[in-house]
Amino acid sequence: MNNVQNLSASREDRARLPMPGKIAGLAFRYVIAIVLVLFAVIPALWVVSASLNPAKSLIGGTFFPRNPGIINYQELLSNPFFPYATWFLNSLKIASITTVLTVFLTCLSGYTLSRFRFAGRRGLMMTILILNVFPSILAMVAIFSMLQQIGLYISWLGLDTHAALIFIYVTGSMGINVLLVKAYVDSIPLELDESALVDGATHWQTFRHIILPIMTPIVITVGVLTFIAAYGDFVIARVLLRSSENLTVMVGLQLFQTDRFDQDFGMITAGAVLAAIPIILIYIPLQRYVIDGLTAGAVKG
Amino acid sequence: MNRISTFIPRTPYYFQLALLALFLFGALSVIGAMLSDGLYPLASALSAITVFLTLIFIRRRFTPLRWLSIGIALALLFTLYPLLYTVYLSVTNMGSGHLMTKQQSISRLEAQTYLAEGGQSYQWAAFRSNEGASYALWLTPTEGDSFLALPGQSAESVSVEIGELDEGGIPVSIAGYERMPMNQVVPLITQLSALDFGEPPNTVRIRSLREAAALQPKYQYDADLDAIIDQETGEVYRPVEGTFTSEEGVGLPIGFIEYVGLRQFEGFLGNAGFRDPLASMLIWNINFALASVFFSFVVGLIVTLLFENLPGKNIIRALLIIPWPIPVLISILIWRSMLNPDLGFVAPVLESIFGSSPAWFQDPFWTRFAVIMVNVWLSYPYFYVISAGAIRSIPSEIYDAAIVDGASGWSKLYHITLPLLLRILMPLLIASFTFNFNNFNVIYLFNFGNPPMANTIVPMGHTDILISFVYRLAFITSNVTNYGLAAAITVMLFLLVSAMVILQMRFTKIFKEVE
Repeated sequence: MNNVQNLSASREDRARLPMPGKIAGLAFRYVIAIVLVLFAVIPALWVVSASLNPAKSLIGGTFFPRNPGIINYQELLSNPFFPYATWFLNSLKIASITTVLTVFLTCLSGYTLSRFRFAGRRGLMMTILILNVFPSILAMVAIFSMLQQIGLYISWLGLDTHAALIFIYVTGSMGINVLLVKAYVDSIPLELDESALVDGATHWQTFRHIILPIMTPIVITVGVLTFIAAYGDFVIARVLLRSSENLTVMVGLQLFQTDRFDQDFGMITAGAVLAAIPIILIYIPLQRYVIDGLTAGAVKG
Repeated sequence: MNRISTFIPRTPYYFQLALLALFLFGALSVIGAMLSDGLYPLASALSAITVFLTLIFIRRRFTPLRWLSIGIALALLFTLYPLLYTVYLSVTNMGSGHLMTKQQSISRLEAQTYLAEGGQSYQWAAFRSNEGASYALWLTPTEGDSFLALPGQSAESVSVEIGELDEGGIPVSIAGYERMPMNQVVPLITQLSALDFGEPPNTVRIRSLREAAALQPKYQYDADLDAIIDQETGEVYRPVEGTFTSEEGVGLPIGFIEYVGLRQFEGFLGNAGFRDPLASMLIWNINFALASVFFSFVVGLIVTLLFENLPGKNIIRALLIIPWPIPVLISILIWRSMLNPDLGFVAPVLESIFGSSPAWFQDPFWTRFAVIMVNVWLSYPYFYVISAGAIRSIPSEIYDAAIVDGASGWSKLYHITLPLLLRILMPLLIASFTFNFNNFNVIYLFNFGNPPMANTIVPMGHTDILISFVYRLAFITSNVTNYGLAAAITVMLFLLVSAMVILQMRFTKIFKEVE
């Protein structure tokens, strides 16, 4: 926890850094800045420009299209073989449900671990930490086989179902987030709970009306991180989903790309740009929460 | 505070009991079905979860756990069980031809049928559905009642309205179907006699223009002999390493999962043709993770140190973080197209400067170079953000003391800033190493682990890391899949990851914080 506080502490402080202070030094730093900015920006600009290029082939690959237009986007959304719109909606649906479930379960569990004392509590947290070390992707063969078997008896939870994918995402992101939430609730003074309990509130009422409103920042952090992870996942969805109308936008884009890279390059880049939009829309206003969550999460994990 | 008085309905106790009963009924019927199919590992996991949830519900002592119960149950099934099941799979022969349990493969085999010589025979008349898509047979046995048979449906379940019979005993009309006269049947006879009418294994097949005959089960399992007996030839097939095999060594195609001990591990550890390329893959895997962390950290650090108090720093910083929010798959797709010799702009630019451009996707060295470069692009913003945070946390008094001692800019950097940064960030760097050690996305999405290595026993690529190789073994190598082997290599990965985590624990206090 120390590190987390240190990282966010003293934002206002100007660090005392070695400063050459000479014109040459300044020029040198600007040159490096320009090189790095080009390295950062060019790929993003390039994909937008390619998606606006109506030319069917890009021989030689000019950077700026001669007569930009949105024809690639129109063709993409009306493509009969690659149901891009369906994939896109699937992704939004899966990521949203995953986020709601994860936030609900982590808040409840984090509150319980922070406020209740019961046998096995320490062991439980140790187990969460240890399990969290092994990402779901390591067990993909077992997950595949397990879901195949479950699907024989519970058809909505088998391979090629969104329910199974959502459960894998939820359990994958629960571990570390539960501990983050627990640490956050630990920092809320116990007197708040106690006064509510003395007034006759139940634990559920205390949680719902006293603690949960204070938890808003950590709820946003957990929610945003979960959404980004679930929306951006490729491999678990690739292993689980089979039929074309069930795919997520990431898996669909990948298959589209492997199949028709040369022929439909414009459409594929248009698909890439569209698929990035939800994440960028979430990221820009909530950047602070993402950064806090990722740095804190990494310090913890 | 007055919001607390919101009305919360109390669920009546009998309602909760009914829910518990419903849950137990559902869980037990699924577990029972799994047990009878021989899925013992999954059935035991579900049983453990059911017992756990029931105990929490009925014992007052476990009340706080109720709040955690759903989360724990999900984690047991979708996180813990797959890890244990991986270990189990690594000592089995699961793979092509051995995909189900013994019970499942027996019932599959027993569903197979053949056209017996002495089987019950029928006279038949063919009907075609009005859409022309399916056929039905009106069957008249030598003794007994005539009936209608549809493909895949048992005779009892056919609910089609059947009209009056003509003098030959054949219905004049069948709702939705039309009688096929002989001149229509003859050209279709090959097609018709390939169809099985009725629900397996009680099916009837056309044998000639006049006769149809009942099919009989081809295989029967004899529990006393523990063998499958071929009813047509009398051949006895006994289980040998997950395959029912005859005396002559002929195996039936549907085998089952069997315990094989450590054979999968011997398969890649005891065989130099497998072990040596795997060892070089492991070295590349470590190098890839090290190089990714090192260069991302260096770029992140350069950005932090050089631009911290540069005029215009805010806009530079905003531009430099651009790669961060873009989903990984999309970033890699962009890089793949930029470096593509036909589609991208990198090749023409490099050719105009150096006269040639590397084969980014074919040459082992340049592909490795490219995946590391792409990974640095993806991850340096993260290192930038954490090292900027870490630098701000260094108390300025330390620098004041150094200035008094006459330290120069470089020596402050070298003697104070860097050592302190490394100390603060070491747990993050190790965590990042562990993450990149299993960074499937960058490797697979950039070039599927290719270019392929030459002369390996199973397909391997020059940029494959262990986890992408496991994926290749389990889901790509199409003709023979060996899940057991993939699981065995995964178990080795578990051990490596555990070692890294133990290392990480030494540098961090997180385990002590769990009070």
